[in-house]
Amino acid sequence: MNKAAPFFRTFDFPRRVIGLAIAAGITALMLMIFLAVSRADIPLSSSSLQPDIPHLVRMSLIQAALTTALSLGVGIALAWALNRLRFFGRQLVVSLFATAIVAPAIVVALGVIALWGRAGWINGLLSAFSLDWNGSIFGLHGILLAHTILNGAFAAHILLARLETIPARKLKTAQSLALSPLRRFMVLDWPAISSSLPPLGAIIFLLAFTSFPIVLILGGGPANQTLEVAIYSYVRLSFDLRAALNLALVQLVLCLLIVLPALLMTPSLADAGTSRHLHWPDNKNARILQWLILLLALVGFGLPLLAVLVNGLGPGLFGVLVQPRFWQAALTSLSIGTASAILTLALALGLATARNSFASPLARTALALPAFAYLVIPALVLSLGFFLAVRKLQIPPADAAPFVLILANALLALPFAISVLAPALTAIDRRYRRTARSLALGGFTRWRLVEWPLMGRAVGIALAFGFCFSLGDLGVIALFGTSEFSTLPWLMFRALGAYRTNDAAAIASVLLLLTLVAFWALPPLMKKLSHARS
Amino acid sequence: MLEAEQLTFAQPGQPLSYVYDLQVAPGEIVVVTGISGAGKSTLLDLIAGFLSPTAGALSLNGDDLLVLPPEKRPVSILFQQDNLFEHLSVAKNLALALPANDRQAKEKIANALDEVGLADYGPRRAHDISGGQKQRVALARTLLRQKPVLLLDEPFASLDDETAREMRALVRCLTDANQWHTLIVSHAKEDVRQLADRLYNLFEGRLNPEVL
Amino acid sequence: MLTRLVLTFTLALAASAPALAQQNPTLTVYTYDAFAADWGPGPALKTGFEQTCACTLEFVAADSSIGALRRVQLEGENTNADIVLGLDTSIVGEALATGLFAPHKVDTGALRVPENWRSPVFVPFDYGYFAMVYNTELMPTPPTSFEKLAGNPDLKIVIQDPRSSTPGMGLMLWIKAAYGDDAEEAWPEIAPRVLTLTRSWSEAYALFLAGEADMVLSYTTSPAYHLMVENDPRFAAAPFREGHYTQIEVAGILSSSPNKQLANDFLTYLISPEAQVFIPTTNWMYPVADIELPAGFDTLFVPQKTLLLDDETVTENAARWIGEMLKSFE
Repeated sequence: MNKAAPFFRTFDFPRRVIGLAIAAGITALMLMIFLAVSRADIPLSSSSLQPDIPHLVRMSLIQAALTTALSLGVGIALAWALNRLRFFGRQLVVSLFATAIVAPAIVVALGVIALWGRAGWINGLLSAFSLDWNGSIFGLHGILLAHTILNGAFAAHILLARLETIPARKLKTAQSLALSPLRRFMVLDWPAISSSLPPLGAIIFLLAFTSFPIVLILGGGPANQTLEVAIYSYVRLSFDLRAALNLALVQLVLCLLIVLPALLMTPSLADAGTSRHLHWPDNKNARILQWLILLLALVGFGLPLLAVLVNGLGPGLFGVLVQPRFWQAALTSLSIGTASAILTLALALGLATARNSFASPLARTALALPAFAYLVIPALVLSLGFFLAVRKLQIPPADAAPFVLILANALLALPFAISVLAPALTAIDRRYRRTARSLALGGFTRWRLVEWPLMGRAVGIALAFGFCFSLGDLGVIALFGTSEFSTLPWLMFRALGAYRTNDAAAIASVLLLLTLVAFWALPPLMKKLSHARS
Repeated sequence: MLEAEQLTFAQPGQPLSYVYDLQVAPGEIVVVTGISGAGKSTLLDLIAGFLSPTAGALSLNGDDLLVLPPEKRPVSILFQQDNLFEHLSVAKNLALALPANDRQAKEKIANALDEVGLADYGPRRAHDISGGQKQRVALARTLLRQKPVLLLDEPFASLDDETAREMRALVRCLTDANQWHTLIVSHAKEDVRQLADRLYNLFEGRLNPEVL
Repeated sequence: MLTRLVLTFTLALAASAPALAQQNPTLTVYTYDAFAADWGPGPALKTGFEQTCACTLEFVAADSSIGALRRVQLEGENTNADIVLGLDTSIVGEALATGLFAPHKVDTGALRVPENWRSPVFVPFDYGYFAMVYNTELMPTPPTSFEKLAGNPDLKIVIQDPRSSTPGMGLMLWIKAAYGDDAEEAWPEIAPRVLTLTRSWSEAYALFLAGEADMVLSYTTSPAYHLMVENDPRFAAAPFREGHYTQIEVAGILSSSPNKQLANDFLTYLISPEAQVFIPTTNWMYPVADIELPAGFDTLFVPQKTLLLDDETVTENAARWIGEMLKSFE
């Protein structure tokens, strides 16, 4: 009887329907965007640039592959060190590492420059000892450094969360066996993190492949470029939407082909416990190495962000804080961030729970792919597409702006939220699926009684990602023409474009602080809430 | 002789404190019973070193154990489940008890498996063997480690009667042969009947000797 | 008491009804963000114009002037915009070719614009000159030409990508106007001095202020901001022997606009002395009307020799020239 249960009679039918509907909705939205742009028939008014596409593809691939490898390596090392070490302010450091990826790219780039640049802290320190460092931060290595800061710290954050779900009993067994640090890593840590690596690598690859401002600022010229830059120039310079769309499709297909294997992989055995309260330090040599990694990371990742904070908390801050437009923008940012965070969480949970209810890798991939694909659509194409679609629906663009912003940013944060929630959900599923099934705990009840109480922290992290991403860029509504409607990042870009560097620095530091607070407060808060309910 | 003297564990904000007095002689099996939440696992965690006592002493043959971190204590511990790393083979799970460069590892593993009656199980994945077999493998691993103290936390609770009986016989046999100090925390009457040389009942944070 | 309240309320409603019926017309101006920003010229112009026009002036800000043009192109005949404001001379030709703009009826005869730039369609409202800006304390003797700049291996400059930035495009045209066909040989010599090409002016200027480059491509008027707002006299624009390329900002009326008369009124106001006084200290450009410049502008370097390529040539060749330029950086 059980072998031929019809699809709609399956245990998790509602979850599957919701998940598939979300995936279909995202796919439809992307189709709509592409269709809207391709339908916009604009007569070409000037000659077109002919970018060297194979060259750009090659450069993007090399850069993205290197970024991915470096970021994962750094992320693993850092997660390993943070998992073993205990020190005052550890939680703050963990939050700090999460903020890099959601900070506006230009903030990170300027932070890197403030540290490593010609007039940066490192050079200042060196010249105090009359040493000279003649290297330059500009070039491929500058791009890689900035990307590794962004993505490596993000990877570390995610992987650390995985390490903390190793059940206490396993840790105790390993500890009573006195496993060496290396064996401990191979036996305990690697299985816990390895299933997170492919999707994590996929996200990092996509982000690096489509990176734009960092590539231009730190690239040191057009030799280091991405396809995204060429797409941008098609739209902006020659307004050749066809060509831009074609390139965007090339980028989409190329990227998806590359990340597809990562998404097809079935998750390996994952655990759903917690060992956050247990502390088992490694031996002295390993500890020295861990402190060294942490120190390097703090210098490499923490200091650029600290530089942003320090630069911003200077004289400009007071002048910014007394401006009513600052508070208006802050309020808008917070509202949009909150709405977006909730939407992100809802979509991510819908997709992730549905993924778990399918065994076939194909169905699982079909559910995740749209969320990842969205990450690869160039911001300018998104912007054009949303604008044209909103016009087609005869809604005044300025009225639609907040909703488009919430939706667009929630979708952007979606892969991140999924990568946080999916492993936790998979682990819980493995452990309690049979029990839940025998008790006929369907959809919402299972969520309320089993999943939510066990994954409060993960929900908090996912919310933090959703929230902080939406504090971020306004690129998607660039065309909507909303001078009344401004958010903190937009205010920062405006200030930067009007000589007001101090204002911009102050807003950047406020943004970073907000992000820091979100990542510091939301996970424990959600954990508390989830326990209170259970 | 494993000795706990006024080994105390108290958590701020919790009214009940645990104070343990206990002795286990070589080759002796001591069983501790008690209702859930009486503090049985806390006792094992204290001896194994996963918890630090707030007061009291713990020694083996006069050597202070409290100064040692869990991985350095002369203790093997077996839980009700999750003793094996399921993604590894049985042999690899056993190898974890030996130094990585042990040349005779293969031999020792084969011997240990033989002793628990699982001679050909080395290449199989821990995930794929039964609950009773898993516990046997875990016992085999304690054999390889040769630690004088064996702690068992409800070790047979998830096994069927027959398998549990065999396991108990195995524990008895290994304890005698290796002169282990074996401490079992259990609420199974069978464990008491079949294994206990001495019996304690844990009630309101205190160990009370009981007559067998 | 209650009756009186209800009566007052009804009367108030009745009084407001006719006002709603003959609502003021709204003049919609698409522009770039900095123009409409709180510290830009937008708010002052809105107040000033609305005092006389019996209308509502609405600025709709796109991320850039090109963005504003693109939006109008996308919206076509159905656009709400009456005016696009802020296009510069490097894109005027392209804007004209879209056929979306109608001739204006504004008297531009008295305006003082470099090269005496005029157009039947676009009204110039301010201008400036591109220049390499530097810190006089850190560099007492700046290069006096692109040749000198290229010849000094210790120099680092930061410029903008011509594909994404208006000043970046300006520099490309500057070199072309100064060196003509030799531009193709000039770029490879300048390229080693370039630290990086940024996406926008903001990023380049931020890099410069952070001390990463000795010079940044900006405007001759940039030092005025530091002097007048920050009271910081250290910055200056380096006079270049080749001359300085001119940027003229213009506004045009869309042929689809139902408010053409009002639009012409606004452009007339825009170039009048009353409106032009806002330009120097809010947009940091030179006004086109003959007005007294604010104190601080007298300290600025004013190029004797100015360069400007004509719109058609630019439109026809820009893409090819950008390609030439970028090749030198690969």
